[in-house]
Amino acid sequence: MKGGAWLCLFAPLVGTVLILLGGTRFSRRAAGWLATTSVFVAFAGAVWAFLDLRSASSHAGITYTAWTWLQAGQFKIGLSVLVDPLSTLMMLIVAGVGGLIVLYSVGYMDGDDEERRYFAYISFFVFSMLLLVEGGNLLLLLAGWGLVGLSSYLLIGFWHERPTAVAAAKKAFVMNAIGDATMALSLFVLIAHSNSLEFGTSFDTALHLSPTAVNLVALGLLGGAVAKSAQIPLHTWLPDAMEGPTPVSALIHAATMVTAGVYLIARTHPIFEQARTVELVGAGIGALTLLVAGLIALVQTDIKRIIAYSTMSQIGYMFVGVGVGAYANGMFHLMTHAFFKALLFMAAGLLIHALADEQDIRKMRGIGALMPWTKWAFLAGALALVGMPPFAGFFSKDSIIAAALHDHWYGVILAAAGLVGAFLTGLYTFRLYFIVFPGEPTAFVREHRHAHHGKEGPLTMLVPVGVLTVLAVIGGWIQFSPFWHPLTNWLDPVAPTLAVAEPTNAQEAIASVLAVALGLAGIGVAWALYGRGEVAVPRLPALQRTLEHKFYFDEAYDALFYKPAAVLASRLRSDFEEPVILATGPDLGEGALEIGEGVRRFQTGLLRTYVLFLGTGLAIVGVIFLAVR
Amino acid sequence: MIVASTGNVIVWIVWVGAGFACLASGIAVVSFSNPFYSALALIGNLGSLAVLYLLLSAEFVAAAQVLVYAGAVMVMFLFVIAYVGPRMETPWAGGPTWQSVGAVLAAGAIFVEIIVAVALKAGGRLSHSDHVNRTFGTPGWIGRLFLTDHLLAFEITSIVLLIAAVGGVILGAHTRRTA
Amino acid sequence: MLGPGIAWYLGIAAFLFATGALGVLIRRNPIIVLLSLEIMLNGGNLALIAFSRHARNGAGQIFALTVMAVAASEVCVGLGLVVAINRRRLALDVDRLSELRG
Repeated sequence: MKGGAWLCLFAPLVGTVLILLGGTRFSRRAAGWLATTSVFVAFAGAVWAFLDLRSASSHAGITYTAWTWLQAGQFKIGLSVLVDPLSTLMMLIVAGVGGLIVLYSVGYMDGDDEERRYFAYISFFVFSMLLLVEGGNLLLLLAGWGLVGLSSYLLIGFWHERPTAVAAAKKAFVMNAIGDATMALSLFVLIAHSNSLEFGTSFDTALHLSPTAVNLVALGLLGGAVAKSAQIPLHTWLPDAMEGPTPVSALIHAATMVTAGVYLIARTHPIFEQARTVELVGAGIGALTLLVAGLIALVQTDIKRIIAYSTMSQIGYMFVGVGVGAYANGMFHLMTHAFFKALLFMAAGLLIHALADEQDIRKMRGIGALMPWTKWAFLAGALALVGMPPFAGFFSKDSIIAAALHDHWYGVILAAAGLVGAFLTGLYTFRLYFIVFPGEPTAFVREHRHAHHGKEGPLTMLVPVGVLTVLAVIGGWIQFSPFWHPLTNWLDPVAPTLAVAEPTNAQEAIASVLAVALGLAGIGVAWALYGRGEVAVPRLPALQRTLEHKFYFDEAYDALFYKPAAVLASRLRSDFEEPVILATGPDLGEGALEIGEGVRRFQTGLLRTYVLFLGTGLAIVGVIFLAVR
Repeated sequence: MIVASTGNVIVWIVWVGAGFACLASGIAVVSFSNPFYSALALIGNLGSLAVLYLLLSAEFVAAAQVLVYAGAVMVMFLFVIAYVGPRMETPWAGGPTWQSVGAVLAAGAIFVEIIVAVALKAGGRLSHSDHVNRTFGTPGWIGRLFLTDHLLAFEITSIVLLIAAVGGVILGAHTRRTA
Repeated sequence: MLGPGIAWYLGIAAFLFATGALGVLIRRNPIIVLLSLEIMLNGGNLALIAFSRHARNGAGQIFALTVMAVAASEVCVGLGLVVAINRRRLALDVDRLSELRG
């Protein structure tokens, strides 16, 4: 187990370091294969650790510490990895899906001038994410948290000549930094009370903290999760992050990094259970986000942005799941979402690649006729996303809705939101599908589409898409609660589902039926509006404008935060920095000159003057001596 | 405490006269524009000072004052003034400059401070001086002191005079023109 | 002691000292400056003699004699300077002899 865990963690790092050190000695292709190999080696390590844990007597999880990283008095942090059911699940997802995506990038990024830098960054990202999920204590988790934020910044701004990409990278980083800060604050509170950041000790401490303290800790952690997972109100960075290359969007902003928030809540659930209100607030945020994102996705015209809002929405589902206490359900949806969302992004990437970087869906009409494999792959992903049986999403999404349903009146509201969201998901997803794929190819498509040696794309891109298509279909079959739930059982030692979140069979059935029905309704409406074109899209200009402006969040943040800060900065510069600080240098110089000029007037060169000073000095000294004695 | 005896009255009259002359000649020295008149005023000052010394039982010092100061130093002054020629100078013309105002203030301050210092420190002890014996201030007494208690002062004085003489000669010598 | 007390002599001495100081500060002719310097020294001498009489200690008179000798030497050198300046055709004005001016 130990070997597997360490191998998994460090293999991608070795890949990064080799690519960086190798520089131009590696060809661009070689760098890509090196990165891919390192991530697949990590996957092998993850499998190894998983199998070992499975066959071990106790599934509780073991922490292996390599050495003491830092020590300050009683406070000790070791460089340790935790091998337990939750972490091995995440390791498999991250390394597995990550490996497929890195393989895909070899084909997608082929020909780019800075390919090596890309592969160094992306294996560094995989390393950081694995550090996050494997970290044996909260500090390593925070370290991984920060490093994935860094990798995300580096990869979003990969095409750094584009000002939009650079701006998006900065936006992502700054918003994530807010989350990092709140997380750090909650870690401080934990250190203050328990002098340790080991998982076990911290969770025990949470039982003894005052309600205020534990609520603060939970709020801080929730803040970090909200920022990293792009939930309201810290969500505006995710659509902009689509400026990065498509594999980056697939890996970081669909499958792994943005799900780190869900993982965090599941991992630190004992703390959240002590601060149940905060946990339910998290669920509420998730519900709100899934509705808002779904609505915004209805009017987007950029294919990647539609999928990004879909991601935001689905993570909202996961937040609802872990928020009500159904950790296993949330993690299950995380897993299936990784499969079908990465698939959707990669299929979109095939389209974009074929149409020479065109991303506007209105221009892509009818491409399904020319790229059938992509069409079927996309359809599989879309059906999984909407939650149609027997595709993967059906099993995971419905269990979340069911779990929420069980949990008193608040949960019913959450479940209702989830059901509305299911309708919206069907609507926007199949809007996308019906606009892009069916029908006659437009003139644009015919002109610009270039095939790759007669195929729809290079093999390195097609193979991962194929694998993920299969997973999107069968990936959900691992759990069909309440009949068959090996995943919940697997996670039980670490993240047991709360009793309030255990739905009855009846509730499960109701939730499933309703969700499927609403999903089909959404597909139907989308077909009517966009597929057949019979019914015109309703014209509601005010609503359309609001949705197109993404509920004016960006404008609000601009007015609330950016403009005051900019005004303050410029006022500080004009009123404080320039007159006080910058002028100090020349002013000091001028002052010295003036003093010199003044003193110079005493140097008359006249003997009389000097004697006068003598006399005056004598008089003054005499006074002093007389007065003071 | 003025005791009205004949000796006392005479001493008082002499003191007032000599003191007045002293003060007046002092002011005259700094006020005349013609240096010749200033030198003459200084001679008067030295003479009145000699009288005051006599009143203070310092006969030898009084004699030395007249011989050395008035006799030698002032003659030297008059020689040089005559050699340099008349240089008239009006110190108070042109209105009060900051130099002159400062000088008056400083001088006034010094005067006041000395008075205050002496008054504070001495208190009432200065009002009465004891009697001295007849040998106080006589040349023999001074000479004995020079050769016993204050021998060092005596010797160093002679060296200082030598140095002054040498310096004077060097300063006054004609500079040799380089050929 | 007959006549006024020592304090009066000290008053005259202080006045002479201040007057001499004023002269040194005000006058521009170096010869007059030296004369004023002599007045200051005499003021000091008078104070010494007065205290010597009051304390009945001969040291004061000895000191006064030494001061007299030093004053004579200093006048000798000073007047030598004046003669040298005059021989060099420089102005006999302490304000004009200002090469130390900053």
